[in-house]
Amino acid sequence: MPTSTITKSPSHPKILMLGWEFPPVINGGLGVACHDLCIALAKKANVTMIIPKSNPDFVVKNLNLIGLNTIDAKTLRNVGFNDSYKKIKNVHYIDANLNPYYNNPADGKFQFNMQSQYLKTIQVGNETAEVFHIDDLYGGDVIEKVTVFGKLAANLAHSLEFDIIHAHDWMTMIAGMEIKAQTGKPLVVHIHSLEVDRGGPHSKGWVYQTEKRGMEYADILMPVSNFTGHVIHDYYQIPWSKIHTVHNGIRPVVPFLGERQFKEKMVLFVGRLTRQKGPEFFIDIAERVLAVDQNVRFVMAGTGEYFNPLLERAAEKGIAHRFHLTGFLNLDKVRELLSRADVYVMPSVSEPFGLSAVEAVQFGIPSVISKQSGVSEVLKGSLKFDYWDVHRAAGYILNLLHDEVLAEKVRQDAYKDLDNISWDNAATTVLQGYRKFKLIPEETDEEQKLTNTVLS
Amino acid sequence: MPSVCFYFQVHQPFRLKRYSFFDIGKDHFYEDDEKNRKILDKVSEKCYLKTNRKILDLINRHKGKFKVSYSLSGTAIEQFELHRPDVLESFKDLAKTGCVEFLSETYYHSLSFLYSKEEFKRQVEMHREKIKEHFGQSPKVFRNTELIYSNEVASFIEKMGYKAILCEGVDRLLGKRTPNYLYQAATTLKIKSFLKNYSLSDDIAFRFSDRNWTEWPLHADTFAKWVHKIAGDGEVLNLFMDYETFGEHQWEETGIFDFLDHLPKEILKHPDFDFKTISEAADSLRVRDIYDAPDFTSWADAERDLSAWLSNPMELESARRLYALEEKVKAIGNKDLIDVWGKLQTSDHFYYMCTKFWADGDVHKYFSPYDSPYDAYIYYMNILADFESTIEEAYKDFKSVKKVTKKKETV
Repeated sequence: MPTSTITKSPSHPKILMLGWEFPPVINGGLGVACHDLCIALAKKANVTMIIPKSNPDFVVKNLNLIGLNTIDAKTLRNVGFNDSYKKIKNVHYIDANLNPYYNNPADGKFQFNMQSQYLKTIQVGNETAEVFHIDDLYGGDVIEKVTVFGKLAANLAHSLEFDIIHAHDWMTMIAGMEIKAQTGKPLVVHIHSLEVDRGGPHSKGWVYQTEKRGMEYADILMPVSNFTGHVIHDYYQIPWSKIHTVHNGIRPVVPFLGERQFKEKMVLFVGRLTRQKGPEFFIDIAERVLAVDQNVRFVMAGTGEYFNPLLERAAEKGIAHRFHLTGFLNLDKVRELLSRADVYVMPSVSEPFGLSAVEAVQFGIPSVISKQSGVSEVLKGSLKFDYWDVHRAAGYILNLLHDEVLAEKVRQDAYKDLDNISWDNAATTVLQGYRKFKLIPEETDEEQKLTNTVLS
Repeated sequence: MPSVCFYFQVHQPFRLKRYSFFDIGKDHFYEDDEKNRKILDKVSEKCYLKTNRKILDLINRHKGKFKVSYSLSGTAIEQFELHRPDVLESFKDLAKTGCVEFLSETYYHSLSFLYSKEEFKRQVEMHREKIKEHFGQSPKVFRNTELIYSNEVASFIEKMGYKAILCEGVDRLLGKRTPNYLYQAATTLKIKSFLKNYSLSDDIAFRFSDRNWTEWPLHADTFAKWVHKIAGDGEVLNLFMDYETFGEHQWEETGIFDFLDHLPKEILKHPDFDFKTISEAADSLRVRDIYDAPDFTSWADAERDLSAWLSNPMELESARRLYALEEKVKAIGNKDLIDVWGKLQTSDHFYYMCTKFWADGDVHKYFSPYDSPYDAYIYYMNILADFESTIEEAYKDFKSVKKVTKKKETV
């Protein structure tokens, strides 16, 4: 599909996108979401980007904090950016050592607030390593750095042409606020996750305060799901009139059918073993299923602070022989599991989107997912339960494992859902949002036709 | 002399419990008693009692000039008997006026015609007995579940002795013709087919309270004008709808009862128009043309075919497994088991499993007591699994008893 050969009419919006490309070479999460959305938007609009660029030493220090000494600065400098914005004409970098996954250490929780399991992996050549702590050493320094970044970005913005400022999550939100203040252009903030999600509903530290102020100052908020929209409304008291949901897309993948390692069926969980992902509910569900049917194994791919407690719990419940924790797995290994699984379960307690469930759909696995997730809004083809309703989830798993008609139907319906889960759709929704709030004029009929033929 | 034929469907299924996989083998009672009772009470208050009273009043007011026809499913009548005998009484009052006709259908409001003609006949017979018992009528007119119809259905019903049958007036089969005449199925000799005028019927049943409709709010005199327009090209106007239109789908606040109150008077203002029961219309009117329906049609959804109940693998699989039990269930001969099997045949169960996710999908959702079509299928299949094992057990016993009896005989 052509990227920049579309004639753009004068009424095509000029967007100043405040994006992410940190950490380098990580595949997934905020960086990918931002990148993929931008590429899709660039087909229909003029996109200019400002990206905070971290120097490799900063990255290394981060990794060192986690105790990964296998990567050195030299190696990192030589490794190119996997996801480059080559397709976007105007990309500006500002040196700013910022980490989008920063967590306020005062809350005492170091939770990785990414939506996809991929974010854990760093691939540097053939090395893979996991990032699971966020820089806590920078403390109050972060405030200063973010502010400085904001001012530098605003400075840069004066020399650029744009109609709309579009930021992603709170750090670039601050830059966006600065730019709006100085240029008077409208500010749109894309919300992938919030402090309240990351740290729990009682996280009301300065990050929360900043998010709240920023969202009040912004003209439009674009959460990745209605679920997150509710969080914005309920926990930040922002009126619904400002909220315009833009569901995430996903990159197409070539699925494959893997060979079974064992004769039993496999029920799979992929994700961080943290409170937010509901791993304790997964084990309760497993217990109930295994009480009735021993011909199934439960596999959890991922690691986190719940790793040891889960092992112990499984042993206590007497299901250790059918319950497996793989620990950290890289992308390829996760895909191998997906290629063999019979049922995918996502018991998240609070999930802004939940791309992992869509990955399961790409591999043709029927899914049982929590209603407290953004992805449940776009997957008709899935069986949904309230994350605490382990009885219902267990029943669903048993029905899927014992009824091929049901499994196939769910699989087929989910496959159809994939048609709508695309970044092109997301880009269209973003533009609809701009129009709805009158940040740009309505499309003329001719422009509509052009858009439709190009995308068909 | 065009005749207006009102026909009202009165039906309530025995809705099933949220029966989980874990209940299989343990819980043999499948109905959601509480939900069914609640819904019956609600609809009785909002619709049945009010509307029956209104219809009775209109009949008396117009001194025999206002006539209507009903079909009450066996499952509805049974629930009235169990929980709301007052509603049954109000229908009996209507029967006593002599201006109300009760039609024939399958007792369980089922899709049995598509699976077992023998079972179909059994259910029709059961239903006839019920109608005779309560209303003293022997129905002469038939209407299949949700107006499922085809040449084959018409022919079969004709052989059973009925004089008329109801169906949807499907555009693609009518072509340019109007549904406002009596037609004959391609394969029949004399049974008369009454085609629903869906445009005017749906004006009342669906569009009545739609504020976006150009004709909203609809008044009785306006509607009567539309009715009068058929004069010159039409002899019968078939207004077929769900009885719950009055008070339940169209709430009282919409003015639906006032509309109903004034409608007969407005229609009768035109001297050529009258109201007839289906039988009366069948007796006085002749067939005008052949209406060829080689495939099944119905009054459901935009497609007017079987897709509401039997379009996806879940629906097809569950129906297949259900009817596969017929032989064993009947061999065992246990009345209760046969009744359970019968109640599992009600078309609603399959309707709830439908996954057509466009405009009609919303209509399905409104009627469904479950969160999703998958849930409907899952509960149904879990119940079926339990029922199947009950049948297996009973059949084993039945066969061993047979063996013993045979042995005794040969000795």
